[in-house]
Amino acid sequence: MRTPLAWLRDYVDLPAETQAIVEKLAMLGFPVEAVDSPPPLSGIVAGKLAKVEKHPNADRLFVCSVDIGAQKPLTIATAATNVAQGQVVPVATIGAQLAGGLKIEPRTMRGIASEGMLVSANELGLEADWFEDGIMQLDPQTPLGSDVVKLFGLDQDVLEVEVTSNRVDAMSMLGLARELAAAFGTSVREPDSAVDYAAGGEFSVEIESPDCKRFVAQRVSNVQVRTAKTALRVRLALAGQRPISNVVDISNFVMLETGQPLHFYDYERLAGRRLIVRDARDGERVKTLDGIDYTLAPRMLVIADEQETQCLAGLKGAAASEVGPATREIAIEAANFTGARVRRMGSELALRSDASARHEKALPLALTDVGAARAARLLVDEGATVYAPHGFGQAAPAPPIVALRKREVRRLLGYELESAEIARILESLGFSVRESAVAHDGVFEVEVPLWRSDVTIEADLVEEIARLAGYDRVVAAIPPTGQQAIASEAYEMQRRVAETLAMLGYREVATLALQPASVHQRWGTNAVEIANPLSEDQHYMRFSLIPALLQLRQDKIFEIGDVFGDAGEIVEKTHAAFVRRTTAPQAQSWSDEQFVALKADAIAFVRRATGRLPDVRAAKHHGWHPGICAELTLDGNTIAIAGALDPRLGVQFETDGRVHVAQVDLAALPAPVVPRYRAPSRYPSLSRDLALVVDLGVSAQQIETVIGGAVDGLARTIRAFDEYHGPQVGAGKKSLAVRIVMQRDDATMTDAEADTAIEKILGALKSELGATLRSG
Amino acid sequence: MALHDQLSALAAELASALTSASDERALEELRIAYLGRSGKITEIRRGIGKLPPDERPTAGKSINDAVAGLEAQFAAAQQGIELRKLDAELERTLDVTLWNVPAPLGSFHPIRKTIDDACTYFVRHGFAVLLGPEVDTTRHNFDALNIPPDHPAREGFDSFYLRPDLLLRPHTSPMQIRAMEAYPPPIAIVVPGKCYRRDAVDARHLYQFNQIEGLQVGEGIHFGHLRGMLTGMCRELFGPRQEVRFRPSFFPFTEPSAEIDTTCPGCGGGGESCRTCGGSGWIEIGGSGMVHPNVLRAVGYDPDVVSGWAFGCGIERLAMVRYDIGDIREFIWNEPSFLEQLA
Repeated sequence: MRTPLAWLRDYVDLPAETQAIVEKLAMLGFPVEAVDSPPPLSGIVAGKLAKVEKHPNADRLFVCSVDIGAQKPLTIATAATNVAQGQVVPVATIGAQLAGGLKIEPRTMRGIASEGMLVSANELGLEADWFEDGIMQLDPQTPLGSDVVKLFGLDQDVLEVEVTSNRVDAMSMLGLARELAAAFGTSVREPDSAVDYAAGGEFSVEIESPDCKRFVAQRVSNVQVRTAKTALRVRLALAGQRPISNVVDISNFVMLETGQPLHFYDYERLAGRRLIVRDARDGERVKTLDGIDYTLAPRMLVIADEQETQCLAGLKGAAASEVGPATREIAIEAANFTGARVRRMGSELALRSDASARHEKALPLALTDVGAARAARLLVDEGATVYAPHGFGQAAPAPPIVALRKREVRRLLGYELESAEIARILESLGFSVRESAVAHDGVFEVEVPLWRSDVTIEADLVEEIARLAGYDRVVAAIPPTGQQAIASEAYEMQRRVAETLAMLGYREVATLALQPASVHQRWGTNAVEIANPLSEDQHYMRFSLIPALLQLRQDKIFEIGDVFGDAGEIVEKTHAAFVRRTTAPQAQSWSDEQFVALKADAIAFVRRATGRLPDVRAAKHHGWHPGICAELTLDGNTIAIAGALDPRLGVQFETDGRVHVAQVDLAALPAPVVPRYRAPSRYPSLSRDLALVVDLGVSAQQIETVIGGAVDGLARTIRAFDEYHGPQVGAGKKSLAVRIVMQRDDATMTDAEADTAIEKILGALKSELGATLRSG
Repeated sequence: MALHDQLSALAAELASALTSASDERALEELRIAYLGRSGKITEIRRGIGKLPPDERPTAGKSINDAVAGLEAQFAAAQQGIELRKLDAELERTLDVTLWNVPAPLGSFHPIRKTIDDACTYFVRHGFAVLLGPEVDTTRHNFDALNIPPDHPAREGFDSFYLRPDLLLRPHTSPMQIRAMEAYPPPIAIVVPGKCYRRDAVDARHLYQFNQIEGLQVGEGIHFGHLRGMLTGMCRELFGPRQEVRFRPSFFPFTEPSAEIDTTCPGCGGGGESCRTCGGSGWIEIGGSGMVHPNVLRAVGYDPDVVSGWAFGCGIERLAMVRYDIGDIREFIWNEPSFLEQLA
């Protein structure tokens, strides 16, 4: 909220230094996002144009005799066209400094010595479009010679204060003044709302919707619409509100001062001279004050006369009953609506206003009466006749009483506060504090001031106390934690997986989980759709980590993250994927060093992550090369998929090189087992190599399994180490070299024993897999 | 020539031969020539047979003594050669400043490192680390966190929806609810993880980011414990002199609520023109507070018996300050030079 310090000081005495105020606000929970400092201004006084004459030597210039309360009037030439005798205007005297760095020096304009300059709003640092086109006009009563900058606070900073959504009371000058008064130990000067109401002024409001909780209506006659007083206009402009007219400005002023939004209707333009708060009619159309047409629906709330909508509740008034120069009589609305309804309406109509920003939150019902009374007073000051207000809907409830136990302050904050200090703090913020008659010891009955609708429970009061005592009084302490009953398994597994891949030389990357449709379309799958994407690039959830990794075109990278599928229900899984990429050409069609390297990484990965060595079997999975894809399994369950990327996807995703990918579903990884040590045999081992010829379809794993089964326990390692395809073994066949290391735990293995074992092995290989020894 | 003289001559001859034997091969050749099967000693031994039998033992002993002498000569020569080799090796000088290239390491992403370091602090103090789903219900994300459907704060969480009641979590706080529903008090957890909000991507915003959530509920748990644990976390991440201060704020699921500031690590808290903190000496790292009684009630905890605190911090923010990263998009660009520097 734009907060001119000049305005705030109307209600509370504040330190001269802006920084002290900024720091105090921040520690109260109202961070200041920006401080707008005015340009350096000096030497500008109020002056009356005693005489205005055409310049003798220039058609476009006027020569003014300006009374600035000094003995001798100043002679000032001006090119402005809006000057007239009798006006009181800001006058920059010789030596004055204006916005934009302009410094006033004596000069001669077409032969006339000009002793200063008449000043526009823009030259005072105000928004040019919001004031007179030309020289700014001051109130006729402004004391001549008075310092305009000081008079209107043009030398003071404007703060941009951030107000949290619970503190609608602080979206007002008075609200912030109350906070600062409490914090600086001073008090608030409440504005004057005393009015003698005129007799009569009947007015009827029918409330047809429960979403209008209270409506204070008030008639005002003898209204004279004109430019508002300078001080009011400057206050509003500094606060970011365009001044319109004395009447409209009062409604905005009261909203910014008290927090209660008001709406003024031109009473004589209300059909039936009454208002009805109702649901909008389906398709009903309304043109608002800013000239925009809206089509309404019954879920929207409006204030209508007997014929048509005159106001979108809480948002904006209709042009039909706009207060204009011809307005003689007005009706004041000070209402309270259900915030959520105003908010929904605003977002549906894409319409927000300073009023709706307040109505959307929990405005207190009692504020309606406060706002109406203050407006009445200001209108009376403008010469209008104000009739007594009429309240419709719910009466403002009595101020709530919240019980506060002293020990609760200590329980939540961790430090002790004296009863007197608790009471002093709460009272400084406008709460009334009584020690409870029921349980007088350490229990307070706290009456909440009408503007603090956010305070409803004991913890709210504790926060108030903590805030004003200063959050710095909270003493840092290490909490007790008992034995932890909650396991950190998923996190630990993820950590182990990341650690393992890093140990294997992979570099972790992080990619985005939202993707355009083209990703899953090229991959050939479906994906979970975002209902309200920001852009087409973020329309779908990733179904796999792999496409984004491909697009990075890097070697040895990995990512751990969640992927999403739609199987009626949305299925979320945590995957790890790791990728090798090379641009080196493929050596032989039947061997693939990159695959062997990736698989070695995958096996090591499973071993490190689970403490166990996996089995490997050929498999087919979408995304992988149909002939180069392996599953790593434990107890028959697939733990990881490793293989070459399907070359068709390589083309689709322009991988520009050979890519091998492994993917792990972290939920499939069993918890790691603690490995058991097996002491090596003290007896020597024997090693035998076999050159076998088998059908192409027979896998190394099958051969190793058969060998292991044939000599139960004797074969300590079995490793196929060389593969050959070619004319020497014939079509449909391949040759595999296998090294078998045999060893006994209880004695030295003899050659004869080894020979017997090999016989058994060859027999089993022949009968189970049709393997033969390669000849020659 | 008498045997004695013969052996002395041999010893002298070897001594002179050894002076020119510069390496182990030459030494081996000499060994074969003198002590080998058909070497000079063998030849002299053969002469023993021609001696009278009573002289033979003395002669044998003389020869054996001479062999020992020769072997000692060889050993000394061997040692000499080894010393010369060591001297030669010690002579070598390389330009050790050539090729200062680190071997490629596997590495963690800086976001994971920051998460791990923060979690480590809490684990050391007996906290568990939980992970939770990124897709979660409106109940876990809002309703049970004291943000009913029409609450103004709900608008602040500009979330991606998959279904009317299912969204990508805009904060890690739904895990407060999941954890408290799964476990009775006392409870002490941290939850790192990805969150999503409908933010346009620029140097300071990503629509996908990480948070770490902390929650402790039990008897006697108060605001000071929150400050203590956050101070510890900041010291773990930024160094031993970090302080934490609270500023009042508003979150529907905490009361009292506080913004968390920590000493700016860029300037140590004093920098006039520090670009990390803009001169304030503090950086804002997240939101926190005492768990709202409505939240405790929503999960079946009794707010009159237990109390607790919760916080949420943006990991990217912490990591940017920690590693002095100016553009949040670096975390998803995955440039090798970026990842390598922070490995």
